[in-house]
Order: sequence, then C-alpha cells, then structure tokens
Amino acid sequence: MSIGEIIETTSTAFVAESFELNSPPPLGSLVVVQVSSETGTSTGLDLYAVVIYGQTVGLDPSRRAVRRSTDKVFDAAIYDQHPQLEHTLRTEFGAALVGFVADSVVRQHLPSQPPPLHYSVHTASVEQVRRFTNSLHYLRLLLVPHGEVPPPQVLAANVREVYQQRGVDRLWLDAAAREIATLLQSDHQALLTVLYSIDPGKVSPSTVRGGQI
Amino acid sequence: MSQNRLGVVVDGAFNAGLTVRLDSRITTEQLRIGNFVVVEGQQNRYFSLISDIHLKATDPRLLADPPRDPSPFIAQALAGTSTYATVEVRPMLMLEKADESDVDALFEERGGPEPVRTIPMHFAELREATELDFSTVFGQEGGANFAMGTPLAMDIPICLRLDRFVERSNGVFGQSGTGKSFLARLLISGVIKTKIAVNLIFDMHDEYSFDKQTEDGHWVKGLRQIFGSQVLIYALDEAMGRRRGRNVDVTLKIGLNQIEEADIVLLSQELNLRQTAEATIGLLRDAFRQQWLLKLLQMTPEELGEFCKGSGAHPASMASLQRNLKRLQRQDYVVDEATFSALDDMVEALDRGKHVILQFGRYNSVLDYVLVSNLVTRRVRQRYEEKTRRYEETKEVADKPRPLMITIEEAHKFLNPAVARQTTFGTIAREMRKYNVTLLVIDQRPSGIDPEVMSQLGTRVSGKLTEERDIEAVLTGVSNRSALRGALTSLNTRQQILIMGHAVPMPIVMRTRQYDERFYQAMGARVETSQDAQTDILDLFGDP
Amino acid sequence: MPLKIERISQQLDRMARMIADSAPAREGFLGQAQDCLRSVNADALRQKLEWQRTQQIRIPWLVAVPRGDLSRSVPAPSPPADFCVVGSDASSIPLDRHSSVRYYVLNVGYAILCYGQKPDAVLEASSRLCFQDQDLYVFPQKWDVPIEGTLLGARMEVESLRISQQAMQQISRPTIALRDGPLILWTLQNESKEVKQALLRDLFEAMDALRQMGVPLAGYISYTGSRDVANSLRVWLCQGRPDECERCESSDYDLCQALATIHDRDLFIFLAQGERSELFGSSSQILEQYGRHRVDFFYMNVGEEIVRVEVPQWVGADADLLGLLHAAIYDQCRRSPAVPPYPPALQEAHEQAVITTTERRLVEGMVEQALGRHGQRVFRSAKDHSKRRRGV
Repeated sequence: MSIGEIIETTSTAFVAESFELNSPPPLGSLVVVQVSSETGTSTGLDLYAVVIYGQTVGLDPSRRAVRRSTDKVFDAAIYDQHPQLEHTLRTEFGAALVGFVADSVVRQHLPSQPPPLHYSVHTASVEQVRRFTNSLHYLRLLLVPHGEVPPPQVLAANVREVYQQRGVDRLWLDAAAREIATLLQSDHQALLTVLYSIDPGKVSPSTVRGGQI
Repeated sequence: MSQNRLGVVVDGAFNAGLTVRLDSRITTEQLRIGNFVVVEGQQNRYFSLISDIHLKATDPRLLADPPRDPSPFIAQALAGTSTYATVEVRPMLMLEKADESDVDALFEERGGPEPVRTIPMHFAELREATELDFSTVFGQEGGANFAMGTPLAMDIPICLRLDRFVERSNGVFGQSGTGKSFLARLLISGVIKTKIAVNLIFDMHDEYSFDKQTEDGHWVKGLRQIFGSQVLIYALDEAMGRRRGRNVDVTLKIGLNQIEEADIVLLSQELNLRQTAEATIGLLRDAFRQQWLLKLLQMTPEELGEFCKGSGAHPASMASLQRNLKRLQRQDYVVDEATFSALDDMVEALDRGKHVILQFGRYNSVLDYVLVSNLVTRRVRQRYEEKTRRYEETKEVADKPRPLMITIEEAHKFLNPAVARQTTFGTIAREMRKYNVTLLVIDQRPSGIDPEVMSQLGTRVSGKLTEERDIEAVLTGVSNRSALRGALTSLNTRQQILIMGHAVPMPIVMRTRQYDERFYQAMGARVETSQDAQTDILDLFGDP
Repeated sequence: MPLKIERISQQLDRMARMIADSAPAREGFLGQAQDCLRSVNADALRQKLEWQRTQQIRIPWLVAVPRGDLSRSVPAPSPPADFCVVGSDASSIPLDRHSSVRYYVLNVGYAILCYGQKPDAVLEASSRLCFQDQDLYVFPQKWDVPIEGTLLGARMEVESLRISQQAMQQISRPTIALRDGPLILWTLQNESKEVKQALLRDLFEAMDALRQMGVPLAGYISYTGSRDVANSLRVWLCQGRPDECERCESSDYDLCQALATIHDRDLFIFLAQGERSELFGSSSQILEQYGRHRVDFFYMNVGEEIVRVEVPQWVGADADLLGLLHAAIYDQCRRSPAVPPYPPALQEAHEQAVITTTERRLVEGMVEQALGRHGQRVFRSAKDHSKRRRGV
C-alpha cells in the first residue's frame, strides 16, 4: 500500500510526506521504496527502510500550529470545524535505509543510490517483513542517530513491530534481543532501555532455550 | 557450527592455556572443571581440559549496577552478550587432522595424539568431546586397554593402558567414602584379567577375597569369587579358614627370627619404642644375628643385665625394649622360629601366574599390618631380585619374572617421610620396575606420603579430595596443576575419579565403572562357582 | 549603522509620556462622543447630510450616512447547519521599472471552507504572468495608462473577486464571499472616468454573478482607520459650515476637534461580541461609479476587535443575505485561533496568495532564462545593480 511520497532523500535516510494526515506509518515499521530496474538488475530494487520518526507540522514552516480546541470542540471535532487544516498541515515521516532486495537476494547494507525524490513509499507486506528480517544484520544500521528519536528507541520500536508482524515469533525476538545486546554491549543503559521495551513478558523463555537461529 | 559447539578461542598463550568465550546458548552450569573438550584448530585437533570458568561483562557498569528486576527475557538476552562466560582450556594433546571421513586413518597411519607443541589461532572452535575423541585419545577397550569408567555425560568406555600402568608404582587416593577399595579392585581385576602382572595384595580389612557388603547395603563379589583359583588366599588368622565358603589356601606364620631391625624401627610408634631402641637393637643384632629378637624376648632380667654389661647397652632401655617387643610374641601368628619356605612358595605361586591375597583377619591392627606386609614384601622382593639377576644372566624367557604389583593400604604408614627410606616399600617405589615389582598404594591421606615417593608414582587415580595438603600431594610433579586441582575438588564423592599419569594419555575425569554383575561377567567370572569347582582344584595345583 | 538607536530611545520616552498625559482627556472626549452618537436623530442627520450635499457644500471629510439608528446594535444570528465561506486575497510581483522586460505576476489565492455535515476545504491559488498589452495597459490599443501602482492594486482586487467567484460555482450550500480589504476602491477616485470604468467593469461583472448566485459579498477590514461615523457626528454638531471651522464659535468646538482624532472603531466599542452596527452609506466619490453595486458598511465586534465590513447594497437590502453574512463572519471569527480573531477563510486565502522573496527571485531568474533561451538579454538599471550588490 502506497502511503507517502519522498520529499527529502540522502544515502542513509529519507523523509516522506504521508498521504494521510496524522497517520504516519508506525515508528520502527518497515517501508519499501520500489525503484525500477536500472543498474543491471532484472527486477529492479526494493529499498527497505525503517521508520525513524513521524511528525505533523504546518505545511508552511513559518506557520506554527495554534490551539483550536474549545469547551465543545476538541480532538477529532477540531478537524471538522476547521476543514482547512487538512490542507495546511502535513504529516511526514523519516525512514532510515537498512537494505534492499535485488534479484530476490536480501542485502542488509546501504544501497549505492539514495531512493529517488518523489517516489512512492509503501508499507512492507508481512511476507516482505518476514523475508527481510530473517537476518538481523540490518539492526546495526539503526544505531546511527538520524532524527530526534534516539537509536535505542528506534531499535526497540522496530523489534516490537517486526515481532508482531512475524506473528509473535518468539525465536526471532530472542535472537533479536541477543543481537541488540551485542550491538549495545558497551552502553548497558541504552541496552536495558531497549530490552525493557521489547520484553514480551509472561511467556517463559525456557520453552525456547537453545533455539537455533 | 557443530552441534556440540561450546565457544571460540579468543585469547591464550602456550604456557597459560587458551581462553574460550562461551556461546550465548551455553551456560556455565553445563560445564565442569576438568571436562574433556576438544579445540578444533586448522591443522590440529587439541584434546584439552577445562581448567577454569570466568564470568565476564562487556560493560563493567552493568556489574556495578545490575538490572534491578531482570525478567527471564532480559536475563536471557544479556547472557552470552553483555554478560558472558569464558573458560580456560588447557590443551593436553594434539592430533594432526586427517580426512574426517576416513576413520581408520585416524588410528593407523599417523599414530595417536602427541603432546601439544603449539596452540590454535583465534576463533578456533571449542566443542564437547565426542565418542570418537575419547577413543582416539584413550583407545578402545581390549588388549591392554582396560575400561576404567565412562565420561560424565556419555556412555562409552575410557581406557587405562594396563601395560603402562604396571610399569611403575601407582596410587589410588581419595578421602574416605570415595570407594578407594572398589577402585583398587577394578584395577586389580583388570590386571588379573589381562594377565599383565601378578598381584600380591595385603588385605588389611578382608575386602578383596570374598563377598563384601557395600555402604549402600548390597553384596559385591570378591576377587576369588570372580577369578576363582587364579587367586590364592593366604591368611594370618587360622580361624578365617574355618568359615564356610571362604577357603583359605595357606595360613601364614611369622617367625621371630624373620623379624629384622628395620621392621621394628618401622613400628616404633605402635610399639612405643624410645629413641634409643634402634641403637639397642643394633647391639642385640650384632650379638645374636637372626636370633636377636628371640633371644631378647627369652632373656631373664639377670641375662639382660649381663648383656648390658657386656655390650654397654643401657639397662633401662633394654628392659623397656624387651617389655615393648613382647607384644609381638603375643600375636598368634608369630612363632619363635619359622622358615621362609611358605613365603618362597608364595613367590613361586606368583611366578606361576597366581595372585595372592594376604588376609589379616582379626589381626588388622596397624602393628600387624605393617609388620607382616613389610616382612613379606622384603622377602618377596629379595626373591624377585634374585630371579631378575638370574634372568639377566641366562636371558632365558622362561626365567623372566612375571611383573608383580603389590597392593598396600594405609600406605603412609610405610611411605611417610620418616621411614620411607628404610622400608622395602620405599625402596620399591623408588627403584620402580627394576626388579619387575611395583606398588599400588592406597591411601586417604596422600599428604602423609613422602613427596619423593609421590613423585615416582606413575599413575594416580584419585577420588574427591578436599584437604589442600592432600590435593597438593596428589598433584606432586604433575604439570597443569591448577586445572587438575579444580577438577579434584569438584569431583562427586562417589563414582567420580580423576586419572592422570603414565597409563593415560592425558588427565581425565570419569565416572567409575560399575562393579556389578556385568563387570564380573566381563572379567570372566562363572555364574555358579560350584559347577566349576573341579577346574578350580586343577588350577590350584599348577598351570597346565 | 546609520540609525541612531540611542537618540530614538530618548525620544520614545517623551512620546510615551505625552500619550499617557493626554489619555484622560481622550477618554473624556470619547465618552462625550459616544453620548453624542446615542443622542443623534438619524433622520435629522441624514437630512442634514443630504441638504449639504444638495447645497454643494463641500464637506472636507468622508462621512457616513446612517441607514438607521446610529447606536443600534444587531446580534449575530446563528449560521445555517451547512454553509461555505469563500475567502480571497491577491498579491503580485509588480512591474520592475529597472528591468528592460515589462511583465508583472498576479497571484490570487482563495480558500473555500465548507462547514457542517461534510466538512471540506479547497485551498488554491491562481497565478498568472501578465505581459501582453491588454495586461499592461488600461487602453492597450493606444498603449495608454500602464497598469502599475494603484491601478495594479485595483486590478488585483478585481481579479481576486473574479477568480474566487468562478471557483465557487460548484457549491450548493449557502455561501458567503469574503475579501480581504475594502470593496470601495477609493484609490481609483483620482483616475479618469474611462479608467475607472474600465477597471471596475470586471468587478461589477463578478458582483453581478454573485448576486445571481445569492452569495453575499463582503470586504473585511481589520483594524480600520476610518472615521466616517465620527465625521458625521462632527457634521451633526456643526452649526455653521463644516469647511469653515476657523470661524466656529460653538461650545462643542473642543468635542468637534477631538472627534477628528477619534476612530469609528473606538466609537463602536459598545457593540457586544458578535453584534454589528446599523448600516451606513459612504460618501466616497468612487461609489458614484458603482451604480447597483453601491457599497454600504457596518461595524462589527468580532471579539477583541471592531472591524469594518463593506457590503454591496443588494446585500444590505436583503435581510437573509445580510443575516447569513453576519452569522458567517462571526462564526469565522469564533473559529479563529488568533487574538484578535481573523476569518480562517481569509487567513488561508492570504497564505495561498502570498509570494515569498524566494519565489520572487525564482520568477525573475526564470524570466531571464526563458529570454536567454530565445537570445534575448535582460538589461538592468545601474541603480538596480547597486542595490543587488551592496559592496563596501
């Protein structure tokens, strides 16, 4: 599903304007940019990126949003009472590039070219998520700070999203947790921040101990 | 990645051993100090022991401020990553790698594993030892290879090379309750079964010949019951022979004329002898030769006084000595005069391949044990010395004396630093196999044994030891002591032993072989002795 | 820095003190003026103004002709459940006198905000590069009367109304049209009659269309500086001729003089929130050209501010249209988050219309490039160059 259009692009990340106001893709979720065949690939590239922030601001950077709620009109009703908001606000989201799929091969490193400006951004299908996240090397690309959301929070959000999209895949979650523990081994505060926020609770890990991943 | 992989080498030195970072899925609790493990180098396979286990953290702050309420999930994520374990591994042997698919080549072409001369590079894989590894290092059962036990977590035999075992004196140690006498019985059974040597066992507590009730209540067979007439039973106690089903072949008497000065000195403590006793005995011996003891004991106070005047001995010392040595005369097995024929016959029986157990019966005091053992051994050794000399002259194979292994308990009584130089046992232990006689010393306090003797022991079999001095003593003269020390203290009280030395390629912790029906059968024991009684009798009177 | 800030700050202090000193007097006169407003007989004032007009007595000020009681206040009715507000605004990149190329850019922004069951919004801009003779001259055949300055301003007003009127043709619900600024294009009053007619023609066409559609139109003037009603009070007080003050001996002379400094927005401070004043006619001369679209005005308290609203007479005469307009404006102001409020439709129209400095530069560059592609060079005056390159 097409959800936005790229309005800023670099080799490591891009910013897209969401087609729907106030509904950027979930933090940490995977999005895909389809780039048509160019450099010797037969099927083109699917660039994969992880959503690193979302924001809704005035379309015009010099116009700040102001309070509009009253006793009777608040929350969603504000948008009914001020229909111009749909046109004067915009929702954008940033996404950090974490790899691509070319000729059916999953690569977890930066693509050679940034995604083209104004190209469409799609949500990744469950199948795409599953295939791309079978390997966990992409997580280290999320350690680089891109926006205001600190990398540990992006990591945690991504793991939560993928865990759900993979159908509560506990083996995957355990492997991801270990990968993150390795990546953040020199910063245990950040590490614990992530681990606390991806801890699924309840289920005993003993049932999956020794799982081979 | 192999299934039984444990981790990878991350550090090391040839002199200090290797440091291996454990894989995250491996918990330290799966490993034990002394475990036999294998490091797969690029060209060599290193058979190694785990000598230490360390807990580490990549970020020291994590240790200073551990997570307050770690859920199982978090603990699991941290384990092996932020927190991890390393093990210190000691390569003991190495084997050049061959084509894995060609199992035969592993044994035939390149010989066995050799002492380590190098160490593997970073990231060499550490794994659990497989059945093949065990058989590569310890050989397969059969021939001189005698199965002593199994790895702690596997059911395959670990073999002792008995031919090498009997080449030197050996020791069986362990604090009480660790089953030393069972171990000795296993070893002796192996020696009997393989006919690699003959045994002379000084059986202080009547444990070796017949049924014995174990600590957990069931009965186990004695050597006589397993090996039948291959084993001759000698006894000091005539009453022993009268018990049903416990035939004694020979009742042994000791003559006062056979007791020497050295025997008495050995018993100084038991006999409450004074410092001057040795000098006094010397005077007596000069005067009466072999009859000295008999004479002394027969002396009236007047004769005593005269002897003192004549020889310059101190009368009080003489009187005291006489009083103390009268204890010997009171023992039923001691007669005034005896010939060595019984002992010489025993040596001949040994030479025919018989094994001898000397039961002490009621006379199981230290005094009896030390006196008789030392005296008998001295004679046996003399005879072996003579035989060896003759063999060296004739060089006839028929004259070659059979290797003899003498088993003694409470070994520190004979081999403590104060007396070891004077006893026959001390001599045997030091001169090793010169005259084809070696010792199997059994003791629960190895620290009581002369370090010089300890260092001469070829193979040491030890159950759990907790006393630091005893551990030190058992490890006398062994390399990689730190690794083995950890292994020794971490043994289970029962059933687990550490074997190191001449008869094994490398030190190894194992679960002791069960001494049970299966064992008896493996040793060739008859299911019912009665039906083969006829054969026994034939056996008893000469080898066909 | 040539500006001597320290000198100004000293003078500032004097100014502030002066204003503060005069405040009580001003307050006093304002009270008197409001009393006067309440006491005026509207009919009598209207007759007086009419008489003066017929006597050709020149009144030197713009005056308001009351259509009813001066101090009357009308509360805002409720707006209908569904309605739309169309706001429009315009801006331009004016003709560059320093450039050899003659063109200007008109940008009309409009916002159609629909409220009720199906809220909706259209925010758009219509941009046009004007370079042909009919764009550049009022009388293109003769290349006479270039459209620049005030004429361009009037053109923008007209265009914005025309374009927004076209944009609202699809709307089916009750709609009002709001313009930012006056409907009374008084800046044209010094132009020749032909020029006025030429420029106002399009305005009237658009207004006709709106009238046919039943869409009330209003010019919304925030922070108005007009004094029409205050001036009428002066006429009311005047016992001689308003153009002969120097001979005045009236006891109300001081009040009359004070009224010259009082804005209508202060006079109508008595209006409660949402309330509008009575309609007033304007004496602006340009209205002579407006005919059926003659414009009246009223004041209105939109909350925190008294604004001036100008409406064609066909709106003022239709109670329904006027009520809808009044209700919608007040509703707009209540939706505004700003203080004082400002109708969102106008706010968004402005946002659409505005041309940023960057855009101005961009257009300039694009013009040069386009001409360059056709082998034409753009010359600039020396003065223009010196402005652009401020070397020292």
